Amino acid sequence: MQRRELLQWMIAAGGLTAVNRLGPKDLLAIGRDGHRAASVDGRQLYALDSHAALTVTVAAEHIIPATATPGATQANVTAFIDTMLSGWYPAADQARFLAGVHDLDARSNTRSGKPFVQCAPADQLALLEVLDAEVTTLRQTQSALANDHWFAMLKYLTVWGYCTSEIGMRETLHTHPMPMRYDGNAKVEA
Amino acid sequence: MTRRTAPTFDAIVVGSGMSGGWAAKELTRLGLRTLVLEAGRSLSWEADAREHVRPFEMPFRGLGDRRAVEARQAVQKGSVSFDEISQRYWTDDIDNPYSTPADRKFDWFRARQMGGKSVIWGRQVYRMSDLDFEANLRDGIAVDWPIRYADIAPWYDRVERFIGVSGQAEGLAHLPDGAFLPPMALNCVEQHVRDGIAARYGRERVMTIGRVAVLTAPHQGRAPCHYCGPCQRGCVTRSYFSSVNSTLPAAQATGRMTLRPFSVVRALEFDATRKRISGVHVIDAQTGAEHTFSARIVFLCASSIESARLLLNSATPQFANGLANSSDQVGRNIMDHIKWGGASGEVDGFNDRRVIGERPNGIYVPRFRNVTSRHPDFLRGYGFQGGAGRGGWDSATRAPGLGAEFKARLTQLGPWNMSFAGFGEMLPRETNRATVHPSLKDKWGVPSLHIEAQWSENELAIHRDMGVTASELLDAAGARNIRAHTHGPSTPGNANHEMGTSRMGRDPKTSVLNGHNQAWDVPNLFITDGACMTSSGCQNPSLTYMALTARACAYAVGELKRRNL
Repeated sequence: MQRRELLQWMIAAGGLTAVNRLGPKDLLAIGRDGHRAASVDGRQLYALDSHAALTVTVAAEHIIPATATPGATQANVTAFIDTMLSGWYPAADQARFLAGVHDLDARSNTRSGKPFVQCAPADQLALLEVLDAEVTTLRQTQSALANDHWFAMLKYLTVWGYCTSEIGMRETLHTHPMPMRYDGNAKVEA
Repeated sequence: MTRRTAPTFDAIVVGSGMSGGWAAKELTRLGLRTLVLEAGRSLSWEADAREHVRPFEMPFRGLGDRRAVEARQAVQKGSVSFDEISQRYWTDDIDNPYSTPADRKFDWFRARQMGGKSVIWGRQVYRMSDLDFEANLRDGIAVDWPIRYADIAPWYDRVERFIGVSGQAEGLAHLPDGAFLPPMALNCVEQHVRDGIAARYGRERVMTIGRVAVLTAPHQGRAPCHYCGPCQRGCVTRSYFSSVNSTLPAAQATGRMTLRPFSVVRALEFDATRKRISGVHVIDAQTGAEHTFSARIVFLCASSIESARLLLNSATPQFANGLANSSDQVGRNIMDHIKWGGASGEVDGFNDRRVIGERPNGIYVPRFRNVTSRHPDFLRGYGFQGGAGRGGWDSATRAPGLGAEFKARLTQLGPWNMSFAGFGEMLPRETNRATVHPSLKDKWGVPSLHIEAQWSENELAIHRDMGVTASELLDAAGARNIRAHTHGPSTPGNANHEMGTSRMGRDPKTSVLNGHNQAWDVPNLFITDGACMTSSGCQNPSLTYMALTARACAYAVGELKRRNL
């Protein structure tokens, strides 16, 4: 809605020709710039406030940590998750995700008296393993509900965001976007 | 205010897609000054190709602009080749509405730009045979085709030689071989499955590489495929056939084509004295201005249901229920192909093997039901498409685990999975029908359609059989964990193979077009898109539309020279 209002303002101001030349990515960026929010790595965020963004960043790095190759943080997964929450998911999904982030802090406070991001890494991991087990149980017992669990969303978005990032594709997955050939019987490299 | 332009054209072609491109190419080659009317914008891969945009360059990383799509393209998004980039090549459902009964949905996929749906088609091309052309007569269904394979075979040759079709000759009478470029390769597991099927079923059930309008060698100034994958986003090397890549440039090169984009054809004007189309009424999609163009002959290539809509919207005192519709068959006999039956299974023994490159093609199993023996449950049959592959990181998005061990899983390939998905023939029935909606109009004020179509028991029996025989094929190949697809049949229209709304026939009382795609009632009107189909076969139909178009063009120009038009 804000994006549309901003566009209407630009059109009224005589910027229609310029707007017509912009792609969807640019339009999204305009919409986001017009909205006051937190930022991560210099990128404006739209759905996550700064604390939620940090929580997501820390949790995503536990899911896909830096090893010999980059982790979720270096792939800037949080910005992608924010894009999806603000521009893709229905409002109910966004609300459930944000409530889940809030609940993670509540669990953390109960366990160690601190918000999630301030806990020791081992405690953080323990909290996330509980959530991962909850999702796994849901998949076995009520599979229709599993994907709606906020941690299932976080994990899906973390994997998707990482594996479609430039650094993740290049450094970890070694994706060749232009192989120039089809080989249906290639050897799997060790 | 209508402006009438001077009659400076010999021919008008409505639509610039699969069949419109062929009409433009053939009519201009035969010397006719030809106006091509395209409802959408023009396109050029120099400006429009997006196939090499990488995932991280898309705002939603390939998952699509969900909110925009749900708001404006709720129908179009159901197509298999609809994605975050290719969505621009489908129409806006709000601007282009239609209705169906609430409990009988019909997926009407439409594309309005230069090239039409040839930009985003599946590129599979198979010839029909006399098993298909004789089917209605043999079964006592609907009306007989006015042509046989011998009538169309030279035109299949001509089309294949021009568009470039890669495929493997198999020597099957009911799926005739063509003028093929070298076939694409089956991968190692597909070869294994093919051999297993051959060992059990001999030549009764055959698995081959798909016959596809994608180049495997340089052809007609176009480059071979470089296996990047998403053809539906455009192709800067023009390796797959679309009218943008092939026929329209050929027509342009003659100097006799005028392509007019943003030209929404509202209605045809009929001269009752001469019994001829005397004008084509066009609304400029950008300005709303009305124009009328005229020519000696008119080719309707607007897509099956759009062409019927145009006739129904061109009623006259003489043709109160739609132009060229004395048979009352215009808009009837809508056919598609029934999908979503099949099976998949895992194949062991190839875990040290993988695929490199995105092959824009799969396997094909030609129809084997009701070919040499009679099935007790249904008429006609179906073919399978599909293929073998290994899952990658995408299968980890819903998998358990965290940390370095989970991350390592992202780079591991899953088991080889082989799948077969059926495309089944739909019988023509008069009750599957499009009619003019009493009140609904599109953005340009052109009356919209109400579409009623549903599967019959014959199609549903075909759908059920798909899962049985696909499982048998997998079993023959030694696959394990074989799972027949459990979901119900596809929504009619979803195969994007709609056809039949102005059928060819032998009798003006029961058909709209004669054996040369010429309207019985209006001799200077030809309809060569899918509307002309008398039965649907189970083959992907575009090749047949193109061959019939080229054939009709030669006939029409001959009739002009003989002063019969």
